[in-house]
Amino acid sequence: MAHITINQYLQQVVEAIDTRDGAFCAELLSFKHPHVANPRLQLANPEEKCQQVLEPPHDEMVAAHLRCTYAVANHDFVEAYKCQTVVVQYPFYSKWYATLYIFLYLLFLCQADQQLAKKGKGKIGDMLEKAAEQLMSCFRICASDNRAGIDDSKKWGMLFLINQLFKIYFKINKLHLCKPLIRAIDSSNLKDEYSMAQRVTYKYYVGRKAMFDSDFKQAEEYLSFAFQHCHRSSQKNKRMILIYLLPVKMLLGHMPTNQLLRKYDLLQFADVTKAVSEGNLLLLNDALSKHETFFIRCGIFLILEKLKIITYRNLFKKVYLLLKTHQLPLDAFLVSLKFMQVEDVDIDEVQCILANLIYMGHIKGYISHQHQKLVVSKQNPFPPLSSVS
Amino acid sequence: MSRKHTNRKRDKCSIAANLDKASLVVTGCCIEMCPESERCERQRQKRLHRFEILVGTEKHKLPIADPNRTVKEYSRPAAGKVLSCADVLRPADVLMKTVRFLIDDIALSEMDAPWTEVYDFVFDRLRSVRQDMTIQRMGGKPCVAILELSLRFLIYTSYKLCEEPVQHFEPQINDTHVQECFNWLLGSYKLGTHPNEPEFQSLALLYNLGSAKALSYALQLPEGVRHAAPVQLAFSINRAFQERNFVRFFRLVRKLPYLQSCAIHRHLGCCHRELLRLYSQAYSSKNCRYPIELLTEIFALDSTLEATELCQRHGLVVCGDFVVFSKMSFIDQGDVTSRHTYKLVDSKLREQTIADVLHGLPWRLCTDKKAESLAITDTGKRN
Repeated sequence: MAHITINQYLQQVVEAIDTRDGAFCAELLSFKHPHVANPRLQLANPEEKCQQVLEPPHDEMVAAHLRCTYAVANHDFVEAYKCQTVVVQYPFYSKWYATLYIFLYLLFLCQADQQLAKKGKGKIGDMLEKAAEQLMSCFRICASDNRAGIDDSKKWGMLFLINQLFKIYFKINKLHLCKPLIRAIDSSNLKDEYSMAQRVTYKYYVGRKAMFDSDFKQAEEYLSFAFQHCHRSSQKNKRMILIYLLPVKMLLGHMPTNQLLRKYDLLQFADVTKAVSEGNLLLLNDALSKHETFFIRCGIFLILEKLKIITYRNLFKKVYLLLKTHQLPLDAFLVSLKFMQVEDVDIDEVQCILANLIYMGHIKGYISHQHQKLVVSKQNPFPPLSSVS
Repeated sequence: MSRKHTNRKRDKCSIAANLDKASLVVTGCCIEMCPESERCERQRQKRLHRFEILVGTEKHKLPIADPNRTVKEYSRPAAGKVLSCADVLRPADVLMKTVRFLIDDIALSEMDAPWTEVYDFVFDRLRSVRQDMTIQRMGGKPCVAILELSLRFLIYTSYKLCEEPVQHFEPQINDTHVQECFNWLLGSYKLGTHPNEPEFQSLALLYNLGSAKALSYALQLPEGVRHAAPVQLAFSINRAFQERNFVRFFRLVRKLPYLQSCAIHRHLGCCHRELLRLYSQAYSSKNCRYPIELLTEIFALDSTLEATELCQRHGLVVCGDFVVFSKMSFIDQGDVTSRHTYKLVDSKLREQTIADVLHGLPWRLCTDKKAESLAITDTGKRN
């Protein structure tokens, strides 16, 4: 592939089109295929050559792709993005065509985006937003395709496009734009017919969206599906799903084993897990700040902070178990916190924390200010975490 | 070539053209605060604001525009209206001069005018300044300076006029513009270093208390900014709010300087309500007698009378010096009307003048003795 001439390349494209070999055609237009390293194909003006061999609209598409390889070879990502934009314009004709993946489209986007921002033109995210608009128009074409039979329907392109749009929306932090797309898939009768890979990607993103909306039960459902059905060999993808599934599960009271964390190279969570189970606030704070960069980059830092209340609950439960009475002096909780080396907390704050635990249902009882005691129910005062909210 | 083919070719060109539009930029050349054409037109049509009229000509049949005090007004974009002509656009230094004039010679000088009138005028003229900046695609340090001054004015006003009825001041509209300025300013901070950045990042966090979006954005700031004292304090306050640890929340808010307190003020009512809600449930018992004085202290209210009113408004019974918390009694009153508050905002003005506030003179951590005696450390430490 790295040595063929332009004519040989174009012949291969023609053959792929004629035999309706969508997968091969996709490779010939993708950037993951070795042909892109071939300097004979990196042409600034390939239009004439393409027109000679191919029919419209394939000639323009392939010409744009070749111009793109030229641009990339010259590190001009803005130009590369422009060329790819042209390639994306062409609507899908049928299912086989719909498997025409445009790889590394998004990579160009990011690079083009950054290049422009550095020059001071426009704001970061502008290119990505424009790309999203392009993809949206492709999506609308697919979604409204009612003419062709189910085998030829453009609707097969929908989930793929949605997944790409999700990627962009997450990157530019405009998650509210995901909602209409989710609605579209929910109402589609093809939703369970798409390839498992696409469905796993879809569930991964809606799971993350549910996390952002604090809908943790839903998030657990989606992310668990994605994790279970993700192909065994995609360690990297499984790890990515786990990064979001773990905090959700921990909030619902299920701690991961160290074995699992080691298997997927996620030992950053080990200290967090230990801290929460033990009710050790100091360790939790340390663990969160030690791996702060990692957690913030993944966007789970804020959710992990929610584990604090669970940690308080676990610590206070220990106090209850130690004192073996259902009328617990507030001072005992203050002492337990000081014992855990939480310095700057006083009795008023302790009352507020307890008030929160009571309000959320983690403790069944009430505070008596006059007697400075927490009075808990004689039956199951600390209900199991999975049963609360 | 087929028709389909030509159409596609044309579409391709328009796409390329759209992407290139970014390179067409106008630079203004109007050296006055108001372009002459507009000044003459408004004078002729008697549409001058009273601040713009030449002293001595107010009672004339046709008041004269004072060229040193007339400021270009905001012009709603409409079909056919040409806003991008260089003659009517003011370049960066003129815009800066205009904003300084609006703050120093109008906002801080017009002593006879009620603040509502000052606000209406300055708000509109600042909007026009931003319009000129947008059309000229202005960025960099001048843009930052203008937005910082504008934001201080808008945030200060959001507190000062919080008790005004909606006919005189609309918090929603002010909010829209504050957010617009913040988005623009925070975007501009990404290139280069700016000495006031920590102050404004903290203002953004406090003004948008509880917003996951604002919080995630701030968490990804470069280390130098993120670890600055004002930003760390804003994080701590946000954290306390997210954890619903309102006791800690009000304690930390006491430490905020004046303008930051103005920024967070609109959220205080909700925090009072939520703490009451929490306590109504947690202390709920027939024999409950929670001291009103302690409540006043924890809620950082100005008087026990205020605390009593707050409880009663939410359906809770107050007997003498005690409130009876009861989860059955608590009534959610929705959004409570804002009021000026001494302990959490006004008291922080101290030696500062409003001029100091609007110009952002040295930021000092407020030295509330009570807060210090409770020995809360917030810089860098998380809890």
